[in-house]
Amino acid sequence: MVTMRFDGSFEAWRGCARSLLQQGIAPHEVNWAAGTEPAGLFDSQVTADLGEQAKPIRIARPLLDELQIASRFRIENRWSLLYRVLWRVAQGDPSARLVGDVDGSELHGRIKAVRREAHHLHAFLRFTPLATDTAPSHVAWFEPAHDVLPWAAGHFADRMGGNSWLIATPDDGVCWDGAQMHYSRPCPTEWRQLAQRATDPGGELWKTYYESTFNPARLNQGVMETNLPVRFWKNLPEGMLIPQLMSRARAGAQRDGQAERVAGKAGKRIGRTPGQTMDN
Amino acid sequence: MQLIEKLSVLADAAKYDVSCASSGAPKRSSKGKSGLGATDGMGICHSFTPDGRCVALLKILLTNFCLYDCQYCVNRRSSDVPRARFTPEEVVELTLDFYRRNCISGLFLSSGIIRSADYTMEQLNRVAKLLREEHEFRGYIHLKTIPDADPLLIAEAGRYADRLSVNIELPTEASLVRLAPEKQVVTIRQAMGHIHQGETEASAEQRAPRFAPAGQSTQMIVGADSTDDSTILHTAQSLYGSYRLRRVYYSAFSPIPHSPSTVPFEAPPLLREHRLYQADFLMRGYGFKATELLSAPGNLALDIDPKLAWALANRDQFPVDLNRAEAALIARVPGIGVLSAKRLVDLRRQKRIRFDDLTRLRCALEKAKPFVITQDYRPRLAGQESHTLRQHLRDTPAQLALW
Repeated sequence: MVTMRFDGSFEAWRGCARSLLQQGIAPHEVNWAAGTEPAGLFDSQVTADLGEQAKPIRIARPLLDELQIASRFRIENRWSLLYRVLWRVAQGDPSARLVGDVDGSELHGRIKAVRREAHHLHAFLRFTPLATDTAPSHVAWFEPAHDVLPWAAGHFADRMGGNSWLIATPDDGVCWDGAQMHYSRPCPTEWRQLAQRATDPGGELWKTYYESTFNPARLNQGVMETNLPVRFWKNLPEGMLIPQLMSRARAGAQRDGQAERVAGKAGKRIGRTPGQTMDN
Repeated sequence: MQLIEKLSVLADAAKYDVSCASSGAPKRSSKGKSGLGATDGMGICHSFTPDGRCVALLKILLTNFCLYDCQYCVNRRSSDVPRARFTPEEVVELTLDFYRRNCISGLFLSSGIIRSADYTMEQLNRVAKLLREEHEFRGYIHLKTIPDADPLLIAEAGRYADRLSVNIELPTEASLVRLAPEKQVVTIRQAMGHIHQGETEASAEQRAPRFAPAGQSTQMIVGADSTDDSTILHTAQSLYGSYRLRRVYYSAFSPIPHSPSTVPFEAPPLLREHRLYQADFLMRGYGFKATELLSAPGNLALDIDPKLAWALANRDQFPVDLNRAEAALIARVPGIGVLSAKRLVDLRRQKRIRFDDLTRLRCALEKAKPFVITQDYRPRLAGQESHTLRQHLRDTPAQLALW
């Protein structure tokens, strides 16, 4: 058994994997120790740069991209599968990459979960505007299930134009100053505080919209929870409304689609002849 | 009336239109520019309400004052609902604020008919113009098109909007005459024709100004009249064919407050709406024709999905040998989707397909089992009568009625 010790980054892993391939060391003989993980008790240590003089190994770009995305999936021992797939493809077994394969299926399962989490970040992150004139003008706190932040945050530079913003997570943070992206892991304390302590007096409008656009006559909790997993509710401004709206709809307060808040207001029928009532 | 009060009235008034797509727009970015917003062709659902529907756009009416008296509509002139009207600037302000908060990917704006069709359409266009030109907003805009509006106004809307839609609402002319006396099939179809023409012209020339690049859609209300699924699907098929609609949405009629006696007091089962969406998806993505899914007048089965229903009615096509059949036929097997069909075809270039491969592709095995042959598997149930299979494969338990 050999132990590969590296800093936990994909680039460093790639260097290690290259030298292992050149030395012909099979996946079951390798133990991956990322960052400060302890090595096995009886393991021997191998360094990454043994194979400088060996023949170069060519790996297709699409496979490297797949491995890199899969490496963002948080799981103990995340690097072993990646090396196993790489090893098998390098040995001339391209089916290791396919969804129908045992390893390929696991690889693509991780890729799918990572992509889904990036999508969750794009969808369920909420910026709070800050009242100050200093950057960043918008801050957000988000708790992703996988290491997607540096990869997925560029999306917001496209969306937000000249607005500056900051996203803090329990592990890392990213800040866009209007022109450049700054990434930091771990997340600086001041970033975390900015994101978590932001107050939002203007947030009522969104909650009102959410309540009104819900149709209580069509309550469907299962579909909702599949699409908006419960773990995201606590960081969403509308999250605290969800249980209330569900229990009120379930209690039969609403037999039609109208929001309670609207039902409470006085109605207005319109006369047959079109007239001034249209332009109040 | 305060902005927040208007918002609660005009969002409530708009929610019966179920379209929420924010996809199909061309790539736009605000990186390093003034202005706000981006699109990349993919839609984003920013939230979901407890009815299971997604929130992708700020979906509101400019006003719910309306001259029309469509019986199924909560905003009909004889309806006793609170009324409100936004100014165009208020809609702009709300859109930009929600967008910066990352609550939405754009705006879906519709309106009751006030003064005239042209005036109403002008008001909608004004909001889109303010957003695009004054605020350089590059997010998604979906505008409702007023059927009787001047074609020039529809052309203007197409320049600002990513998507336009005209709602046909009821699938037959007879129902429209009875329930929506001010609407006419002819003008609805004309408006769809104008939009289709605009799209065609814009795509014919490279440098032509953009016209509704995410195409047009429409909505049909299900269960407000007695029209059956067969008529609904055939109408949808004809709309897809004639105007190249991107989507037809089906909206189960939702009981409305102070409902008139011309429309039902109860909602149809949501499952019926679900089956229509499944059938629609089979027409758009799998090459099924409406007559294959429903060969005679009537409704889709509620206990089994339309693909399984088709397979049970066409047992002579099965079982399908996954190691030999074309991808299009594999995709017609219940429990195997288009993507899995493609993956199976990819995989069999490397090896023979075995039953375990279906497990790894996460196909719906119970459904697929009676209909496939793999290298190591032949269906024991292949000889079974269709009605026995149906008993075995039906979705149970049946959906409970809402109470």
